[in-house]
Amino acid sequence: MSSHAKAAEKFIADRERTAWHDQALYFVREKRDRMAQGVPEWEALREMASRMKRHTISRLGYYLEMFERHATANGVHVHWAKDAEEHNRIVYEIIQKHGGKRLVKSKSMLAEECGLTPYLEARGVEAVESDLGERIMQLMGTPPSHIVLPAIHVKREEVGKVFERELNTELDNSDPTYLTHAARKSLRQNFLHADIAMTGVNFAVASSGAFVVCTNEGNADMGTSFPKVHIAIMGLEKVVPDYDALALYVRLLARSATGQPSTTYTSHYKKPVEGQEMHIVIVDNGRSDILANAAHVNMLKCLRCGSCINTCPVYRRTGGYSYSYFIPGPVGINLGMLKSPEKYAGNLSACTLCHSCSNVCPAKIDLAEQIYRWRQDLDGMHLASKEKKFIDKGLKFVMERPSLFYAAIKAGRTAEHMPRFVLYNRLDAWGIGRELPDFAPETFNALWKKGKVKE
Amino acid sequence: MSSRDDILARLQAHAITPEKRPEMDFKPLAFDNPVEQFERILKVAGANSLRLEPGQDVNDLIRTAYPEARTIASNLPGITCATVNPDLLDDPRALDGTDVAVIRGEFGVLENGMVWVKQQTRYKALFFISEALVILLDRRALVNNMHEAYARPDFDDFGYGCFIAGPSKTADIEQALVIGAHGARAVTVILE
Repeated sequence: MSSHAKAAEKFIADRERTAWHDQALYFVREKRDRMAQGVPEWEALREMASRMKRHTISRLGYYLEMFERHATANGVHVHWAKDAEEHNRIVYEIIQKHGGKRLVKSKSMLAEECGLTPYLEARGVEAVESDLGERIMQLMGTPPSHIVLPAIHVKREEVGKVFERELNTELDNSDPTYLTHAARKSLRQNFLHADIAMTGVNFAVASSGAFVVCTNEGNADMGTSFPKVHIAIMGLEKVVPDYDALALYVRLLARSATGQPSTTYTSHYKKPVEGQEMHIVIVDNGRSDILANAAHVNMLKCLRCGSCINTCPVYRRTGGYSYSYFIPGPVGINLGMLKSPEKYAGNLSACTLCHSCSNVCPAKIDLAEQIYRWRQDLDGMHLASKEKKFIDKGLKFVMERPSLFYAAIKAGRTAEHMPRFVLYNRLDAWGIGRELPDFAPETFNALWKKGKVKE
Repeated sequence: MSSRDDILARLQAHAITPEKRPEMDFKPLAFDNPVEQFERILKVAGANSLRLEPGQDVNDLIRTAYPEARTIASNLPGITCATVNPDLLDDPRALDGTDVAVIRGEFGVLENGMVWVKQQTRYKALFFISEALVILLDRRALVNNMHEAYARPDFDDFGYGCFIAGPSKTADIEQALVIGAHGARAVTVILE
């Protein structure tokens, strides 16, 4: 069994919760569909966004240098980090220079990727998550299970319990409005008294040096309104050529991610304000290697909207923690494989090849096709499952011999009359949670021979 | 070699075949009745809208919309109902507890209910920290979609700017929509 299948066992043991999780995500998927249908040029927009990304990644160095030049001219300090370690060090050095102790951060998958929060906390810097979902996860002491909806797997009663303990909310009050406003009150103090603000970057505009941060809560803007230092961190694929290109992505992002016409706040940071210092850290951490990987280079088009995760039938029914990479779903399966096949090949089984992900991706990334390709590569990387290899070999032998093939079908029909313990046991991973379909009374081959197949 | 040069060299070494920049080959969403559409989409974003009719005083409109407000912060000339000029404060933290902020929007976007707001006060905190936000907007300054928004000739003229679409919101607890996560709990756009 794959690492994903093993981890998923725990999640699916609670059937009610599995169904609830599935529905919650599908609700978001349906909202996304309504938004897409409301824009007549939706498919042309996706196509153009995809080609604009392809154009951009074919000139990444050019656009990054342009961004750097303009950002520097705007008074922003630009840093470059080869890997997670260098990123963390740069961020810490900036904090140290200002004697910072309290950092308030908005959601950033890059910070997760680099393990920034534990790094800073080990050095005596408190890093408070300000996105409500991220804050819930931070107080629970577990990582987010989704890149856009961090606490999608958590029930309101569980949030209520954590807030009782951490924020002194009323006993057994799990009303979402009450809990959200309790977090608002508590985080307001963090915003007001933080000495360093950190945000991620959704888009960096090369032609102007501006960068864009999208939130619904306003936490990025509250966070950057009081401290004297703002550190923004970005993966190097976040650069877009100019505002005309940006328009495409701003139109697609919120509609694809949460099914809204736009996020509430689409903030554009260009110049530091009076008395403030602004830093941008451009991070590679393996991205320049993706560029050299022709079969998977399209992953650099990703906007991190999460729509492929919401639509994935496997993700919806197994939850984010079943994946061994910190990003779950189709995007995470692929990014994990690009990070380390040895560590993350166990996620490749979490795909039915239904291609729903490829069909909703706003940048038209061939997510399912890439998963298929990775599976083909597994044997060459000595990571293929021995069980499956054995079965494949057997199947090949049978398929190449027609008489054996028909004999096997005949023999297979007796399976219907076998006792359950023979058919469904722990030795056969496919029999767990699955029922054999009813066999048709006659095979297609027999029907054909009798002339019973009508055109 | 610095990390910068190292990264750029790697990008150069791994470069894929140059792809041409695509041209727009579709006609983006456009609307026939801009003001009506804007009012409709603002509602979708959770915002209120009011039309300022000739002869009406904007201060009366604000007072009527927020009768309970004790502190109203604005640096706009003509906003006589303001109780605080936020630009005279020495610390943006003093804005905590503001009931209503009155600011000016540059233009609105019909496809999504966004209003482009540039930093116009000493502290941008004002846009987010007040309980309610009132945005004054010229009703002739409406564009159809983001393509038109970003193509405005003076768009890049900002240090900090934000597209605001309605009040602060979240659905992070069981996908239940809650208004008032961290920013304003209510937004009213006054169409002048």
